[in-house]
Amino acid sequence: MLKDHLRKYVGAGFSEYTELRAQSNTTRRVTLLNGNMINNDSSESAGFSARVRVNGAYGFSSGSDYTPDSIERIIAAARENAVFLDSRERMGKPPFAKVPPMSSPLRYTTEDTASQKRLIEFISELDAYIAAKYPKLLSRVVIANCLDMEKLLVTSDDVHSHSDIPRSHVMVQMTLMGNDGTPVDLFTPFGGMGVFDDQFTTPDALYEKIDALYEKVAAKAEGVYAEPGYKEVILHSDLAGILAHEAVGHTVEADFVLSGSVAGPSFGKQVASEKVTLVDFANTAFGKTCPQPIYVDDEGTPAEDAVIIKDGILSGYMHNKESAEKLGFKPQGNARAFLFSDEPLIRMRNTCILPGKDKLEDMIASIDDGYYFIDTGNGQADATGEFMFGVNFGYEIKNGKIARPLRDTTIAGVAFEVLKTVDMLSDELTWGSSGMCGKKQPMPVGMGGPAVKLKINVGGR
Amino acid sequence: MNNVQTAEYVLNAIRSAGADKGECTASDSVKTEVYYESGKISMLRSVFNTNVSVKLIKDGKKGRVGLNSTDPEKLDKAVANAIEASADAIPDPEDDVAELTENADFVRGELTPDREGMYNALRAFVDTVKAEYPSISFDSISVEHNLRESTYLNTNGVRFTSRRGGYQFSVMFMAKDGDKTSSFIAGGAEFDDINKPLIDHGMVRRLLEEGVRQVETRVIEGKLEGGEVILSPTCVAEMIAYVQGNFISDGVLMDGTSLWKDSLGAEVAAPCFTWKECPCSPELAGGYSLTGDGYAVKDMPVIEKGVLKNFTLSRYGAAKTGLSRSANYGGCPIVDAGDTALEDMISSTESGIIMNRFSGGSPGANGDITGVAKNSFLIEKGRVTDALSEVMISGNLAAMLKDIVEISRERVNDGSSILPWIKVRNVVISGK
Repeated sequence: MLKDHLRKYVGAGFSEYTELRAQSNTTRRVTLLNGNMINNDSSESAGFSARVRVNGAYGFSSGSDYTPDSIERIIAAARENAVFLDSRERMGKPPFAKVPPMSSPLRYTTEDTASQKRLIEFISELDAYIAAKYPKLLSRVVIANCLDMEKLLVTSDDVHSHSDIPRSHVMVQMTLMGNDGTPVDLFTPFGGMGVFDDQFTTPDALYEKIDALYEKVAAKAEGVYAEPGYKEVILHSDLAGILAHEAVGHTVEADFVLSGSVAGPSFGKQVASEKVTLVDFANTAFGKTCPQPIYVDDEGTPAEDAVIIKDGILSGYMHNKESAEKLGFKPQGNARAFLFSDEPLIRMRNTCILPGKDKLEDMIASIDDGYYFIDTGNGQADATGEFMFGVNFGYEIKNGKIARPLRDTTIAGVAFEVLKTVDMLSDELTWGSSGMCGKKQPMPVGMGGPAVKLKINVGGR
Repeated sequence: MNNVQTAEYVLNAIRSAGADKGECTASDSVKTEVYYESGKISMLRSVFNTNVSVKLIKDGKKGRVGLNSTDPEKLDKAVANAIEASADAIPDPEDDVAELTENADFVRGELTPDREGMYNALRAFVDTVKAEYPSISFDSISVEHNLRESTYLNTNGVRFTSRRGGYQFSVMFMAKDGDKTSSFIAGGAEFDDINKPLIDHGMVRRLLEEGVRQVETRVIEGKLEGGEVILSPTCVAEMIAYVQGNFISDGVLMDGTSLWKDSLGAEVAAPCFTWKECPCSPELAGGYSLTGDGYAVKDMPVIEKGVLKNFTLSRYGAAKTGLSRSANYGGCPIVDAGDTALEDMISSTESGIIMNRFSGGSPGANGDITGVAKNSFLIEKGRVTDALSEVMISGNLAAMLKDIVEISRERVNDGSSILPWIKVRNVVISGK
């Protein structure tokens, strides 16, 4: 737990807009590759930072020596940086509108009691199960991965916030020889928000999911390549989240909008089928805590849900204080920093396409010749709204029925064109909690959605 | 404590804790960054950090802990945690620390940040681009100086110190015309001389020139028959990184899934292709002197005239596979220039594309790769014609290396690589 050396700065009366943030990121990782323990690691990156704004120019400084004496030195360094930049750029901007003083308490308080031994024993047992049951595997990788981000924040508006977001995952990768004599692999994460013991009980509770993963990789080993072209497809609910994140989310981050993303001229216009509503949830959705619950962001803005697309109409962007002021919106808590030494950037939190009323089996039955994409890999977005993400497993759909399994492919399209083709949304919702978004800094994000039927460009042979 | 004293303190603690072997890297770093975003030079940042990594082996079992403090109490706790972690680890006879060869002190690059020079360079770049390429809109620009001073010590008596500094520049931009916009275009470089205009580094000026022609794009229909792809140096760097990860690095050689696991000495690429990894090259500002596991690096060939000469294996990976540890672990590729001018590579292309960025899923274990051709242009009958959108390419990394047709005489040095344009055939190019 971080010592609160910052509290004394509440009410300190800073002469300029100032954020002080102390932060500790702790990680633990144990990796078994074919039974060899290639990682048995833990680490902590802890320190604090100050960001000062002088007439619109930001100065930032950070140090790892989080002591009362150092705080003064780092505030001075940040201020000096801001003054230097202000003296050159002369932006002459007014201060931000003040937010009311507030205190946001620590909401997640469970201590991480799982020892490194517990992690090692857990994945060793999983690995032994996989090795014994599936001897045909060319390779197996089992990983326990825990990340905990604890933050203390004080701002010149007298906001005081303390947060802690742990997440814990076990990840399994299996590789089999394919029917063409080349290896094929699949990777699946289990777990989510919380410390290890929140997410995992005993290894045998995962056996059923491990078996399902093997069935998929075995099917993929006999799989075929997708036919390239513009196809009717169903994205499994696990993929809808990455559609929300890559296709729409990045395009509507206000820093991208300000630099010229296609979302700028589309505000208030129909950008998706009227069935589509997309929300970046702050902390709670459908009565449950989201994978990345944010109550106050790293600029001290109270977090609220950002409705991005409402019934197909582009209704909002994601902001920090700077972009909100420039574009005339209210900031909703999207400014987040990954490390103590990072400045807050506009980031997604829990981006989700809301579920519809259709049944998955009816969606499959409605396609004569298309694909059902089930597992995803990485993705990328673009200023044009053109996005892509990897598909690591799926099936052909022929005459309304699931047909042959598929090898790796990639799907791509232009977000606001693809979303207009959405004609069915399933009534179930899946959250992905293991996502790590890359944008200058990495950042854990939540992604959610139902199964989605749409038309999209498929890469293949 | 400075980083030498910290590393010595940790090594003593490792010995006192009863570990059989151990190593410590202690480093101090200072980052200075000038950042442009949302239409202005928005931030000046200075970051001071300390990092300490501790690895120890006891009874054949390893534990590793990282922290960013030199507080003796925290260092003692880190060693105790590493001992505790090792107690429950799986024994591995191949876990070890680097053997003693020759200790050394390394100094590399520009060690002192010129804050005024960094600001001036960024301001000049923004002003130049606004004047010469008015349709360009920046997403972000970063000019950084990084200084890292580190000490590596281990229980075999290995002792290295390193002082490494240098500048990094990265820019992401697009071109705009009314409501129309191009794709994101990214460029950058590593260098030591802040007085050289940023626009003259790496491919930056070329990317700007091409960017303004990417607002209007063409969508092709169906497959582009007989398509050839000219990969730009940026794309070549991406493909090399994929090849390293998929075929020649620790993980895929240890688990046996690399297609090239038995290919040392065999032809894996076209004979015109020679790829070296050169972290010691004085031409590369982004080079390095030490590996993370305690060895001084040397340059090495990876593929020479199409023949696989070396993997990029760490000490542990080498011990696990029974192969030799590599002279370096990659990250500084130099590909030999070919004998064809880029202009001639284009004019000899009947039907194909020239691709500046690949946006795709990570390749599968078999090297299959599919993704979107970004910042790319159509080549028709030997002429670069329209910028493209929504064009996908699909192929296989291993097959692509064998299907190299031509390599350009021209190469681009961005400080971390020196790479040419490479023409590849038999890649599926498909539109909507």
